[in-house]
Amino acid sequence: MLGCGFADRGFPVNHRAFSGRWPRLRAELGRRSVIGLPFGWLLLFFAVPFLIVLKISVSNAVLAMPPVAPVLIWGHDRILQIHVQFSNYAFVLADRLYVAAFINSLRVAAVTTLLTLLIGYPMAYGISRTPGVWRNVLFMFVALPFFTSFLLRVYAWIGLLGRSGPVNGLLLHLGLIHEPIQLLQTDFAVYLGMVYSYLPFMVLPLYASIEKLDLTLLEAAADLGCRPTRAFFAITLPLTREGIFAGCLLVFIPAVGEYVIPALMGGPDTLMIGRVVWDEFFANRDWPVASALAIVLLVILSGFVFLLQKVQAQAEEAG
Amino acid sequence: MTVNPVQSNGGASGPYVRIDGVTKRFGDFEAVSHVSLDIAQGEIFCLLGGSGCGKTTLLRILAGFETPSAGSIFIDGVDVTAVPPYERPVNMMFQSYALFPHMTVAQNVAFGLRQDGVSKAAAAERVNEMLAMVQLEGYEGRKPHQLSGGQRQRVALARALVKRPKLLLLDEPLGALDKKLRERTQFELVKLQERLGVTFVIVTHDQEEAMTLASRIGVMRSGEILQVGSPTDIYEFPNSRYVADFIGSVNLFDGQLVVDEPDHCRIACAGLGVDIFVDHGVSAAPGAKVSVALRPEKIRLARERPEQRENVVMGSVSGIAYLGDSTRFLVLLEGGTQLQVTRPNFDRHDEHLEDNEVVWACWDAGSPIVVSR
Repeated sequence: MLGCGFADRGFPVNHRAFSGRWPRLRAELGRRSVIGLPFGWLLLFFAVPFLIVLKISVSNAVLAMPPVAPVLIWGHDRILQIHVQFSNYAFVLADRLYVAAFINSLRVAAVTTLLTLLIGYPMAYGISRTPGVWRNVLFMFVALPFFTSFLLRVYAWIGLLGRSGPVNGLLLHLGLIHEPIQLLQTDFAVYLGMVYSYLPFMVLPLYASIEKLDLTLLEAAADLGCRPTRAFFAITLPLTREGIFAGCLLVFIPAVGEYVIPALMGGPDTLMIGRVVWDEFFANRDWPVASALAIVLLVILSGFVFLLQKVQAQAEEAG
Repeated sequence: MTVNPVQSNGGASGPYVRIDGVTKRFGDFEAVSHVSLDIAQGEIFCLLGGSGCGKTTLLRILAGFETPSAGSIFIDGVDVTAVPPYERPVNMMFQSYALFPHMTVAQNVAFGLRQDGVSKAAAAERVNEMLAMVQLEGYEGRKPHQLSGGQRQRVALARALVKRPKLLLLDEPLGALDKKLRERTQFELVKLQERLGVTFVIVTHDQEEAMTLASRIGVMRSGEILQVGSPTDIYEFPNSRYVADFIGSVNLFDGQLVVDEPDHCRIACAGLGVDIFVDHGVSAAPGAKVSVALRPEKIRLARERPEQRENVVMGSVSGIAYLGDSTRFLVLLEGGTQLQVTRPNFDRHDEHLEDNEVVWACWDAGSPIVVSR
């Protein structure tokens, strides 16, 4: 059943070529499996782990290996017992620390999204307006960071921002500061790392949608008396909305749960949910609470995606 | 309905649009070469030419999207060469229509007015007026993708006219419409233009469209204007072999001028069998190599030898195409030349010529057009 509606729309079949009953059936099967297999893969490796996490989040923490009590138990009387408790959720939602971590994560992700959008839009715009070969070169530069390990690039930033790193050295040399300043383990470093890491995810969808924009529309706007700046807000921005939405989703969602950058570049008071989940899992060995945190995060993000899609649909409707 | 004709605010006597020695180069390529052209107010001027002849570039220069490499543009006596498109008293209807896909029909039409700071209410009134004029009442809330090609074309026209421009530029305005719709729209466009008095400059590659719409046509080729004149001038008195060949169907003969008197001339054409006799002189050098253009509908066919002495040739029918309103014949002459002849079907029971039948073809001494090669 999966994806059959999609297949009907996406793959027009030459009915004369598949007129026999058996070949048509085979073509149908082929079409479905093209969509079905990846979906099956996603289902297996997203849904199953998700269910496991969900199960852990409603169980008890115990001192054992694994450190959770089973949810399903065969009793002595051979009756299946289900041990479910939602106290982990109550604990997570009541604790100020967790709530603060959630809010802080959302804030950092939101600011990161905004910054990448502000930096990425002009970049994508510039690339899409660059003629010929240079466009490919610039495009390569955007994709270039992916050629190196993400972790390696974060460590490079740590080196750059350190007390005796080149950034401090340059500032000292220019006489802007008199002694090395603390750059690492600050909010600034977290934002820097986040914006740096997520920028390509913003630029690529933006580029795709700006590149599609029909330049005649801008000429038409100018012809009707619209100055370039106004034309940008009246024509370019609304018509590249899809790219903006896609870029924001691609940055915002992973940014909320980001663990590595705040852990390596943030200070001890940089409280983000990714780090809290890690601590609960590995330092505290409280799997149920960590799982509950993960589930709450998932619910919040799903809510955001849902909201954004609704806004987008409405915007499309209103035009 | 109160749509005011455009008022001229100066230079009433001079040409309305003056293109003065305009050249446009893209790198090494010269898209427009030294074009000078005057267009009068209220005229429908057609730039006609094949693809890549520079007609669209010239139109874009008038709109302000391209800056000429040399020369200047005057509109109503004002030099607008350096004026950006958003400050020119000119509007354009794009070939692709370039309707804003995220706006409704009403928003599209109102866009230009809103840029000028016209209030919402006043703009809405003008928009309704324009939509009534192009017969699109009731479509205000539609998006461009919900319209047919013909409706989109009319929205584009309304959007381009709503600001009451002095000059309207139309890039292949009817190119995307099917034949029937195109013919109807052609007449609507002319009527609209007459009512509003806006000067039209139309770019087209379709000679029929140019003939129907234009008061004057400028035929372009490789960046140059070859001939400017009324549709009749261009068709009946082409000034070059290219123009004669480009507009309509034509029989072209290369020949040599053998007699050139003030009241007649003779051109010897190999392959035709006889000299072409023309009832006027051409004042060219004797023995000059010239071309003669002869329109297919100017040639008569007969089974018997006609009585006239000059301009009579014999051949056999080698092809017949019945087109309904007329029939097109191919006549193979003794000298090996093919002659195209068109005969209107006046009568439903016209005598029919058969394939391979021997026929005489003749034409009047006033019909051939002598052009330099």
